[in-house]
Amino acid sequence: MEAVANNQLVSIEKPEIVAPPNWEPVIIGILCNWCSYAGSDLTGTSRIQYPPNIRIIRVPCSSRVDPWFLIKSLQTTADGVLVSGCHPGDCHYISGNYYARRRFLVTKKLLNFVGFHEDRIQFSWVSAAEGPKFAKVVAKVTEDIKKLGPLHLYKKENFEK
Amino acid sequence: MDYTKQIQEIASKLFAEGKIDVFVGYRLTGFDENQVPVLIRDQKDVSQLVFNDRSVFNLVNYLKYEHTRNKRVGLVVKGCDSRSLNLLLTESQVKRDKLYVVGIACEGVVDEQGNKMQNCMECVFPDAIVADEMLGTPHEVRKYKVNADIDELASKGLVDRRVYFEEVFENCIRCNACRHSCPLCYCAKCCIDQETATLYNGANTTSGAFHALMTWSLHLAGRCVDCRNCEKACPSHLPLHLLHKWNERVIYENFQEHLAGVHEGDRGAFYKYSMQDPDDFIM
Amino acid sequence: MARVGVFVCFCGANIADFVDVPKVVEEAKRIREVKFAIDYKYMCSDPGQQQIRDAITQYRLTSIVVAACSPRMHEKTFRKALSDAGMNPYLLEVANIREHSSWVHQKDKKAATEKASDLVRMAVAKSIANEQLHEISVPVTKRALVIGGGIAGIQAALDIADARIPVVLVEKSPSIGGKMAQLDETFPTLDCSQCILTPKMVDVASHPYIELIPYAEVLELEGFVGNYKAKIRKKASYVNFKTCTGCGTCWQKCPVKVPNEYNMGIDKRKAIYTPFPQAVPNKPVIDAAHCTMLTKGKCGICAKVCEKGSIDYKMQDEIIEREIGAVVVATGYDLWDPKPYEEYGVGRFKDIITSLEFERMVSANGPTNGVPVRPSDGKVPKNVVFIKCIGSRDEAKGIEYCSKICCMYTTKHTILLHHKVHDSHAYVFYMDIRAAGKGYEEFVKKAQVDTAATYLRGRVSKIYKKGDKLIVRGEDAQIGQVVEVVADLVVLATAVIPPKDNPDLARLLGVSYDKYGYMSEAHPKLRPVETAKAGIFLAGCTQAPKDIPDTVAQASACAAKVCGIFSGDTMKKDPMISTVNNEYCTGCQNCVKVCPYGAIVTEEVPMGHGSKEMRTVAKINEGVCQGCGSCVAVCRSMAISLAGFTDLQIINEIVSI
Repeated sequence: MEAVANNQLVSIEKPEIVAPPNWEPVIIGILCNWCSYAGSDLTGTSRIQYPPNIRIIRVPCSSRVDPWFLIKSLQTTADGVLVSGCHPGDCHYISGNYYARRRFLVTKKLLNFVGFHEDRIQFSWVSAAEGPKFAKVVAKVTEDIKKLGPLHLYKKENFEK
Repeated sequence: MDYTKQIQEIASKLFAEGKIDVFVGYRLTGFDENQVPVLIRDQKDVSQLVFNDRSVFNLVNYLKYEHTRNKRVGLVVKGCDSRSLNLLLTESQVKRDKLYVVGIACEGVVDEQGNKMQNCMECVFPDAIVADEMLGTPHEVRKYKVNADIDELASKGLVDRRVYFEEVFENCIRCNACRHSCPLCYCAKCCIDQETATLYNGANTTSGAFHALMTWSLHLAGRCVDCRNCEKACPSHLPLHLLHKWNERVIYENFQEHLAGVHEGDRGAFYKYSMQDPDDFIM
Repeated sequence: MARVGVFVCFCGANIADFVDVPKVVEEAKRIREVKFAIDYKYMCSDPGQQQIRDAITQYRLTSIVVAACSPRMHEKTFRKALSDAGMNPYLLEVANIREHSSWVHQKDKKAATEKASDLVRMAVAKSIANEQLHEISVPVTKRALVIGGGIAGIQAALDIADARIPVVLVEKSPSIGGKMAQLDETFPTLDCSQCILTPKMVDVASHPYIELIPYAEVLELEGFVGNYKAKIRKKASYVNFKTCTGCGTCWQKCPVKVPNEYNMGIDKRKAIYTPFPQAVPNKPVIDAAHCTMLTKGKCGICAKVCEKGSIDYKMQDEIIEREIGAVVVATGYDLWDPKPYEEYGVGRFKDIITSLEFERMVSANGPTNGVPVRPSDGKVPKNVVFIKCIGSRDEAKGIEYCSKICCMYTTKHTILLHHKVHDSHAYVFYMDIRAAGKGYEEFVKKAQVDTAATYLRGRVSKIYKKGDKLIVRGEDAQIGQVVEVVADLVVLATAVIPPKDNPDLARLLGVSYDKYGYMSEAHPKLRPVETAKAGIFLAGCTQAPKDIPDTVAQASACAAKVCGIFSGDTMKKDPMISTVNNEYCTGCQNCVKVCPYGAIVTEEVPMGHGSKEMRTVAKINEGVCQGCGSCVAVCRSMAISLAGFTDLQIINEIVSI
């Protein structure tokens, strides 16, 4: 611990993990097709710039997101996950996001309970018209994860990229 | 709390009337005062049955196995057990008309050392909710209490919790005893054993245990009734209740005081929603 | 072993300026499964697509990744290219390197290139798990059910039937016509309502493609789009419609008098009655609650006088079943009961009436022969006060929303009053005048000039009686003073509310409804006619308050939607839907609970191979499933998978970054 210099980035959850130089976090963004994915497309067409750390996965609805996708993401490749869906009441599939919202809250709290910072998993409602909001959300998530430092979840021992 | 005689009488009567094929109860281990579950198939074996404060196991678990499938079953349930039975009924796993349920107004059970179990001290519904016949004096409904262990752990720092649970995951040997002892884990093939889930984590590793235990506790979130069968079955003595109790607390506090299996027809917390669910954690 | 082809698009300069495209190709080539990778200026152009088609055959590719713009843009284009080359179109994956990389990371080419490579790698990993999918075709029963025979139902039924599609029109009351049949004249043109409506009613009755079932209600609706089964209960009318000529002798002779609903109870009808003279069908029915023959077994006059012997006191309700492909719901509206307005003396003062009562009075075929009278003494009123927003826009007593039509019909009423009673004067208390619509504002302006009615902006606080007059005390906000108007008659413009049984019908149909009881459209702006349940459409006030032009427009829109469903013998459906693996399914039915479309049912399957013991598993109705994946995420045993977004595909994407 003492060996870590002040300006070096350490993981908040496991302080012995030090980020390699020029470390950039990997963030997985799971977006619903009808609102958030369309919103992220609008961010593109509007040429609004945001940090390049996010890798986007398209799903039909936020209710498709099984909590173990989030666990799996942290377990394998990601330093943080963003899940985004339609605003409450706007779900293309009527009620999907309401079910998703419950699962997200419990998953987030559970991961926090076992020692992962709450910001590792974040959620947002981004509508198809909210291109600027999507850019802001990604910027915030990236910044948060950068502050947290690299996630080290036993990944080296059994999974190689 | 000793209903040995009454239960023997009830079981005997049920067999005599031809109402049941098998009775699920408790018997003494034979070498100490602790008890193990027993399946009685004949009236002459009824004398094996006992029930007192050492009757810790949740017998509802035995409804998911072949021995009782499509048979008429007599069963002893305590408050917590009856909630899991309620869930099994809701999730169409057992048929009510094939069951004869002896409900207990439970005073709480003790662990092997004779100390009162922690979950009994925090029990909200000590009386069986589903029953054909009740034994004991009913209790007033108690207030939900947050688990003391949870409170203590939650008040610790992130790093401390991480260290604590890393040890838990490290010590898990993936024997799956927790899942086999859980009355609500009745899937024909557990998702954790399926190819897709096992694809990218090794079987018996910390990471694999992390994935397995997290998925397991999320599948039981809003369904776990805190009977602690899993913890009793765990050979590594992992504090599995912590995961479940934490989820229970989060769900109770955020989703309209949901407690698993309390009402008939009430499914787990993830299979319904409310407009009033918290939204402030979402950007 | 999968053989993936990767095609990276320059998109002119759109991608190439900010992403090092050759580098992305080079990175793609390093993936084990990638057997072919190439870049091209415009992948979506015909030569670009040709490259894909050529490579498929040349390199025996098993799946294709196109790294270009958003899949929402050109996924269909590239899918078509695949099927042109004889490959299953669902083996395509699109890596969105334009909207998600080149356009949003224009300042950092290295990072953008890295991200583009990652996105390609993810798409390759996903495509390896892609399965061959085939469009689902669902057979269609070409018959529409229209529920409700008001103007909305009539218009929808006629439009559908004119396209030579059979229609079953179910109406709750003995005659079609609905609320519009009760109106005298209609805004903004003051057409006589009967004159424009009755020809349409007659058309319905005589149309060869319309089966009219009056005095009936829908009991059950099972199935899914194109394949519904409706159970309809035809209430006993106690009159054999086949032999009845509609001569009217029966109701002329009937001794029992009942308040007449058509005239808002102002006059009486008989226990055997036709609702109004122009009713369609023009055959009487017996009101079982009031007929003394049916209640006490005494009378029987109608049976004696009927020359055709059409009266049958023993008639029973009849259940009719029809196979239906699509449903139009047009149940209309009710009016709010103003009883909570106690300070107005509603219920105590006879001379306070509702707008529809006024409408019946001024109607030429109404109970007072077209002249408004005071219910208390039968005198013709001189000073009439109209009060708007009774119940509407009133959270405390009524409902929050604006009923939309009251401003316009109250204006119409001032004109009608002016026409019928020349020396009368109208006072209108209003909150706002909402006259948005073609010709509406002009109508209001002209009416204000022609009738010289006094418009008072403000709410009425109290109405009390002085002699035989009513004193209406209210605020005129424009002069900021309390005013009192001496009135002979007060007319309340009561709010439009959904019919009381709308939620029941909505549940029966499997359609969602809002807190007021209006049925919900699939999207408030872009899908205002459809419900979330495929094949069920909404026309008129069953969705929200509407005037006649809007209602008719929506009814015709419904007809177009129905005709669209019936345009072929089968319907094509996207194959990206859920399927259940029976082996893993535990039959817990949580998916049934979560599915927003009711697409999941249960079925019994043998316990094991050849076993006689049965167990319950979930079954997905592919005609109804919309592919949201809610069921997949709640399935603990992972027995359900969603084609196109399987667990394996998503996990492959996650781990390949």
